Amino acid sequence: MSLFLIVALPFLGALLPGLMVQAGRRACSITTGLVTLLALTGLLVNAPAVLSGEVQTARLEWLPGLGMNANFFLDPLGLFFAGLILGIGLLIIIYARFYLSREDSMGEFFTYLLLFQGAMVGIVLSDNVLVLLIFWELTSLSSFLLIGYWKHTAEGRQGARMALAVTGMGGLALIGGMLILGNIVGSYDLTEILQNREAIQASPLYLPALILILLGCFTKSAQFPFHFWLPHAMAAPTPVSAYLHSATMVKAGLFLMARLWPVLSGTDAWFYLVGTAGLITMVLGALIAIFKDDLKALLAFSTVSHLGLITMLLGFGTPFAALAAVFHILNHATFKAALFMTAGIVDHEAHTRDIKRLGGLRKLMPVTFVIATVASLSMAGIPLFNGFLSKEMMLEEAVHTTWAGSHWVLPVFVTIGALFSAAYSFRYVAHTFLGPVRDDYPHKPHDPGFGMWAPAAFLCVLVLAIGLMPFLVEPLVFTVAEAVIGGVGEIEEGYHLAIWHGLTPALLMSGIAVVGGLLLLALHRPLDRAWIATPRPEAKAMFDRLMAACVGGARGLTDALHDGALTRYAAIFTVTVVAAGAHAFWTGNLVVADRGGAIPDLVPLVGWALLVVSAAWLALSHRRRLLSLVLVSIVGLVISIGFNYFSAPDLALTQISVEVVTVILLLLALNFLPKTTPVESSVGKRTRDGLIAVVGGLGVGALSYALLVHEFAFETISDFHLENSYKGGGGHNVVNVILVDFRGFDTFGEIIVLGIAALVIYAATEALLSGPVRARLLNWVPDMVRAGDAHPLMMVVATRVMMPVVLMVGFYIFLRGHNEPGGGFIAGLVVAIGVVMQYMASGFAWADRRQRFPYHGIIGAGVLAAGLTGIGAWFAGQPFLTSDFGYARIPPFNEFELATAMAFDLGVFLAVVGAVLLSLESFSRIARRSNEQVSDYAMDIDPSRNEEA
Amino acid sequence: MTSADFSVILPEITLALLAMLGLIVAVYTGKDRLAPVILWATAAVLVLLAGWIGLSGGETRTAFGGMFVDDAFARFAKVTLLLAAAAVLLMSEEYMARRDLLRFEYPLLVALASVGMMVMVSAGDLIAMYMGLELQSLALYVVASLRRESPKSTEAGLKYFVLGSLSSGLLLYGASLTYGFAGTTEFEGIVRAVSAGDNIPLGLLFGLVFVSAGVAFKVSAAPFHMWTPDVYEGSPTPVTAFFATAPKVAAMAMFARILHDAFGGVVGDWQQIVALLAVASMFLGAIAAIGQTNIKRLMAYSSINHMGFALMGLAGGGAFGVQAMLVYMAIYVVMNVGTFAFILSMEKDGQPVTDIKALNMYSRTEPLKALAVMVLMFSMAGVPPLVGFFGKFYVLRAAVDAGLGWLAVLGVIASVIAAFYYLRIIFYMYFGEEGDGLDRSSSPVLWGMLMVSAAMMVFGVVNLFGIEGPAAAAAATLVD
Repeated sequence: MSLFLIVALPFLGALLPGLMVQAGRRACSITTGLVTLLALTGLLVNAPAVLSGEVQTARLEWLPGLGMNANFFLDPLGLFFAGLILGIGLLIIIYARFYLSREDSMGEFFTYLLLFQGAMVGIVLSDNVLVLLIFWELTSLSSFLLIGYWKHTAEGRQGARMALAVTGMGGLALIGGMLILGNIVGSYDLTEILQNREAIQASPLYLPALILILLGCFTKSAQFPFHFWLPHAMAAPTPVSAYLHSATMVKAGLFLMARLWPVLSGTDAWFYLVGTAGLITMVLGALIAIFKDDLKALLAFSTVSHLGLITMLLGFGTPFAALAAVFHILNHATFKAALFMTAGIVDHEAHTRDIKRLGGLRKLMPVTFVIATVASLSMAGIPLFNGFLSKEMMLEEAVHTTWAGSHWVLPVFVTIGALFSAAYSFRYVAHTFLGPVRDDYPHKPHDPGFGMWAPAAFLCVLVLAIGLMPFLVEPLVFTVAEAVIGGVGEIEEGYHLAIWHGLTPALLMSGIAVVGGLLLLALHRPLDRAWIATPRPEAKAMFDRLMAACVGGARGLTDALHDGALTRYAAIFTVTVVAAGAHAFWTGNLVVADRGGAIPDLVPLVGWALLVVSAAWLALSHRRRLLSLVLVSIVGLVISIGFNYFSAPDLALTQISVEVVTVILLLLALNFLPKTTPVESSVGKRTRDGLIAVVGGLGVGALSYALLVHEFAFETISDFHLENSYKGGGGHNVVNVILVDFRGFDTFGEIIVLGIAALVIYAATEALLSGPVRARLLNWVPDMVRAGDAHPLMMVVATRVMMPVVLMVGFYIFLRGHNEPGGGFIAGLVVAIGVVMQYMASGFAWADRRQRFPYHGIIGAGVLAAGLTGIGAWFAGQPFLTSDFGYARIPPFNEFELATAMAFDLGVFLAVVGAVLLSLESFSRIARRSNEQVSDYAMDIDPSRNEEA
Repeated sequence: MTSADFSVILPEITLALLAMLGLIVAVYTGKDRLAPVILWATAAVLVLLAGWIGLSGGETRTAFGGMFVDDAFARFAKVTLLLAAAAVLLMSEEYMARRDLLRFEYPLLVALASVGMMVMVSAGDLIAMYMGLELQSLALYVVASLRRESPKSTEAGLKYFVLGSLSSGLLLYGASLTYGFAGTTEFEGIVRAVSAGDNIPLGLLFGLVFVSAGVAFKVSAAPFHMWTPDVYEGSPTPVTAFFATAPKVAAMAMFARILHDAFGGVVGDWQQIVALLAVASMFLGAIAAIGQTNIKRLMAYSSINHMGFALMGLAGGGAFGVQAMLVYMAIYVVMNVGTFAFILSMEKDGQPVTDIKALNMYSRTEPLKALAVMVLMFSMAGVPPLVGFFGKFYVLRAAVDAGLGWLAVLGVIASVIAAFYYLRIIFYMYFGEEGDGLDRSSSPVLWGMLMVSAAMMVFGVVNLFGIEGPAAAAAATLVD
């Protein structure tokens, strides 16, 4: 049968139980069983060929871009495991049919069981490590579903959580390891990987890969220090425990170690990591098992111990150890599954698994007693049972292996492990079945029906058959072991599986173990008391504490980083950027400075000092808002002067008008705000922020300096503009030509933005004034004493006189703009200042009433004018905003140029005026609604007015 | 500026014009009364555009003197982000309407943000890129604070705006340094200037670093991620869903375009930066999410973590890295749409719930939805065989192939840590304490989105719905 079909059968079959459950429980379980049987038959059909050395393959391209192909292959190792999975699966299905009670949803249970079975078969048959990983995690998921659908206690829930957390994370680590492995070899196909032992072990990534892969294996197979999850997962129903937590899923880790044995084993790292972990697990698990009162917990820890034993054997890295490991996998699967079934039967019949409430079941459940005894004796390693054979081999191998230069460590510890193992095996039988019949069982037990004990009995027959006639399975075990070894070494010639190997040290150790085990059983009562009395590290508690600590740590870190304060976010941002800048500075290469720093004159030095002092002062006293505004305007003033100093009068003019407008608007806004900023942060915080600011500022300064003293890679673009501004734009004033011509598009965008900004201010104040803020404004009492004469005569007169002059200046600046410093932008600002003065001097109400054109309209007209000018160029067959020009002379003015750019400039002018005044008006509305009395007169106090009239 | 130029940029212009038309129509008619209609129409337009762009295919075309590029890469990103935006819009309707947040501006702002994003991924010039970025950002600032009366929402908007402006400024600073040293803002020109010499001039390196930092903010990569949790938590949930999907794709694609088109000659220089961002994001996202109980904050950290993984693909350099990143982002978007569809349906007594403890024993009340969420969570954690695993696997391979084995190992460790909190959600649903659970919600759109997304995570394993091919083609046009 095709390998695809074998793998797919359980998955396809998983659809059936759900459908068949309507037809009754019997039909449902029979279908499930048949599916499994079919897959098993398919597997066995291939068996002869495989055992004779032929490797079956099936290949299919899946995601070739990722190197992921659905490749399967069947070699003796795969056959061995697949046989175990399907064979025991079949027995479990029969067992579960009788174990499950009427309330349990059988359809669901069998669906998940088949999903799980398919995933397991997938793992052992995959030829592609990626496909293997997928099946690997699929076992986690389906096992989660199997456990998740049970009626669970609080303890069971925690067990399931822990199981998934540990194996899930191990699985992710495994992905990393497999990726590295695939990368070393250059292929993700197992058959390829297995042929590259040298390349893999020589790679520097061998150790990380090994550790990651072992993390996956150890977590899955419950090896120390991850052994704690398995016993806690035992809250699941017994069929699940027997199948997942004893016979199959936990063996996946062993399978993978065996599968990769040819390429990973043989190094010191492998020996000490795998061998030691196995040894510790074996002894520790056995020790704990002795003192467990829950039958299933006892068996769980014994499983942990036996898995440790096999892991240790694989860790030894010798062919003989591999042989023993394979043999023990087979033996353990038979006796342990049988034992789990008996535990389930006892639980099912007596309604308890507590060993302290049991005893004397021998008389009541003779069949179960026989089965349990056979399986237990095998587990204890008594001759004539199969457990004895593989245990002997293990002891034999341990005698010949040195650990860290010591000959006695391994023999002593494995003997102790075997001793404990014998002890709990004896206890399982003695304390459950032997002793007097009690009359306080929660439920009167008796042997179950045939269907329930038959699967266990069948396994016991196997136990005895192998134990008595090991030569029956010898060919199988040897072929599988050879597949594990993969040609890296050879099993000793002439070795046979046999009960009697002569008087070897191993036999002696076995004897000690059995006698010691009996002794421990006899002394169990006092020892148990001592065990309970002694404090010992509880793995689950440690796991919980570790998790709690991790969560606590994570929360602490998060709270430290994200306290919700913008200042902290900005601080982190700034520090990172400064660090990034420093990184760039150190790694980049700086061409030699080719512009010397000239020693500046006194005047610019004074300006520079002024700039630095006022900026620093501002940073220190920013809480006093009026003072900061003054300092800000000093900075602006110095910058304007600076522009002038560097022969850019145009910029200076723009800057200074912008400064004036901004300061006036800020003053207006400040009028409604508290005069100081409250202190909210601690001194430490402010020091920290100050330090960051200083470092950041110095960094930016240094960067500017570095760029100033170095020539750029390209010539400056100033030359181009200087050359072309008259030729192409018809203006001598380069800045203005750039604004309205070269960069006309930018300017067009800017005036639109300006207009939008003003509209937003308008909309925002409007929204404020119609909302709840209105009431607060109406009740607002200024926190400072107001001047009695809000609109002084002198000022009113002065501004009235100034108004025509200002307008004239604006007009002049506008016209000369194209050739001399000036232009629409500055003219707009100048005119705006003139109007603002009226507002300030004569009051908002008075000025507003004389304002004919709505500012919205002015902005709109400006944008429209500029836009139409741009579009005009289209009619001349030119691109948008191309300008044309000619010259005109209107007496008494000088000759001036009449460029289409002028219409554009007019648009700029209007937009600027409109935007500034609209913002002003918006603020003024707030003020007016709060406290201003509208006066019809121009001046509050007017000597010429007759007050009486 | 010719009609040829306009034909290249026609989808963007169409969307922009429709959005503006929608604004005018809404203002002059019933305002918010038309909001549901506009929402559905916008979603339809987005889907149609996605179809149009996706099916147009063809050669790489440029417009406006190289400022705008229409190539397979841009098309891949655009289709992804348009579909994501449409999906989120559809999911929003009911939630927004019930909380009186369904204003007509909302779908239109999403549409305008989409225009911005389309320009971002198609930009062939620093200025065009910045324009697209700002159009997107401005729209996002507004939608973040859509719930004006809620202090949290306004605070979120303000924080986003302040930090966003800071990063925009940084990006501009970097761009101007780049311009100063390369003499051009065009990517083609920059790449010529950068690869001309053996050593990259200091100014250009600064430009690269600062531009990267600015873009890192937009993809919310650590340590520029600080806004993400607060904004995710404060914004209305549909807006959060939008933040988590389309803009991330756009920013990530834009990042890839800058790095390859403009700085493709100095891969070694930016590889370190991107790898560092990736590691920081993966770990921060993984660790910080552990302590979260608010599912929106949790998703914020989760997205930071995911961005780290996507950046890992990008750090691989080369075409495979870009392909990995694209595949990852596409998968990420599908997972997030599904998850947010679920989060939007989390309600108790009609009020939205964001505490993950409310999910206790959810599997009892709604087994099917719980199953779907479980699939999504496993997929997010990157557990095989779900599709999320393939995304992770892609980026890990990209890193390993590029010789960044350490990055891949760190990525695996981070994904192990991150698995913790995804699994915790599943634990709550399946093994939680008994408590009064969530309402049984009945929104068919949300239900459908959740189920479709979960089903895609399961059935996508067959061939990832064939996105590998287009992603590879897209990556090939970017990196040649």
